[in-house]
Amino acid sequence: MKMVFKVSVERCIACGKCELACAFAHGSEGRPSATRINIHRRGPELGTPVVCFQCDDAACAAVCPTQALVRNDETGAIEMIRSRCISCRMCVAACPFGNMLWDETYHCVQKCDLCGGEPRCVPFCPTGAIAWVPAAEAAIPPEKLDRENLEAR
Amino acid sequence: MPTLTVNGRKITVDADAYLLEACRKAGADVPTLCNFDGLEPWGGCRLCVVDMSLATWDDDWFKMVTSCNHPVEEGMTVVTDSERVLATRRVVLDLLLARCPETPLIQQLAREHGIEETSYQRNPEPTDCILCGLCTRVCDHIGVSAISSVGRGWGREIAPPFNEPPPDCVGCLACAEICPTGHITFTTSSLTRTIWGKEFEMLRDETTGEAVITRDQAEHFAKRSGVPATYFETSDRTKRRELAKTFEKLQVVK
Repeated sequence: MKMVFKVSVERCIACGKCELACAFAHGSEGRPSATRINIHRRGPELGTPVVCFQCDDAACAAVCPTQALVRNDETGAIEMIRSRCISCRMCVAACPFGNMLWDETYHCVQKCDLCGGEPRCVPFCPTGAIAWVPAAEAAIPPEKLDRENLEAR
Repeated sequence: MPTLTVNGRKITVDADAYLLEACRKAGADVPTLCNFDGLEPWGGCRLCVVDMSLATWDDDWFKMVTSCNHPVEEGMTVVTDSERVLATRRVVLDLLLARCPETPLIQQLAREHGIEETSYQRNPEPTDCILCGLCTRVCDHIGVSAISSVGRGWGREIAPPFNEPPPDCVGCLACAEICPTGHITFTTSSLTRTIWGKEFEMLRDETTGEAVITRDQAEHFAKRSGVPATYFETSDRTKRRELAKTFEKLQVVK
């Protein structure tokens, strides 16, 4: 079953727990700035969690010159193979949503890898603003891309 | 999928794999300096040599090959730590240590192979460049080819054409990031970036002033991908903010 992130913007209180959980799950020091999920803070206790969409037709993977970004068919995540990354930052420039993150400490690119199919940020969200649900249960099911009839909007 | 015997262990790898992958899979420690997963193998540093024998060869007949660029074959026998393999690696490291006596990476690798001091004449002008070619290969790979190796023999070095600021360089820093010894130096800020003696203007986001790539880099990406160069002007932070705004519009009101 395909699982997706369900983001309920009205529930986010911008507490930053998801950011911290992500930083601790991925980095040895848990620097909050090393997070791969970001809350756009638009006021006191008002936020919008922004996380990688794992796009079907991903710009980051298409632009990568060394095929360092590959789809993990099991989890559906586009994962970065660190040993192949040449740190050219093409994916950072290419991602239309700003979800490829340049890590100045390790000089490499960080992206959401869905923690192997069980995102660590989700259980820490106190209000349920982010949930990990089957795609069919999400409020607005993601539209299927009709490649033949693509039109410029 | 071919099955090989590496140091007595049976290992199965993909048909298009190289020997090095099979050795690593078998848990054998094969040192490399010029190998990089994202790039085609090159066989330049000669550190990854192993003894290899095909199924059809006599039992005691082994050939020494560089494992990084030697394709695997069904029934191969590989020995990664025979006496002559280790001796060859020691000679290579001894020579590298003579060339780069002050490079920590080479010192450590040499020490692991039992060499504290080079037995050859020490390079009077110590350098950190081990001529592994990673920088030139990565530059070729992203379609820029701004630098290459220059000269031959002891005078060989990595340099831009005529030792002048390279006109083709886009300032992506891939060569400096991949350099295993940190020989390639650069400076970078949100305003300018300097590498190979060439100064670049950074592509700054209008609202936040942040920059991750240079203007030349954006133009290079634009030419490759077919999107306008202005697309790259938006920083990832601004793009996330735009995304958040879209999310807010999509709120499901109950």
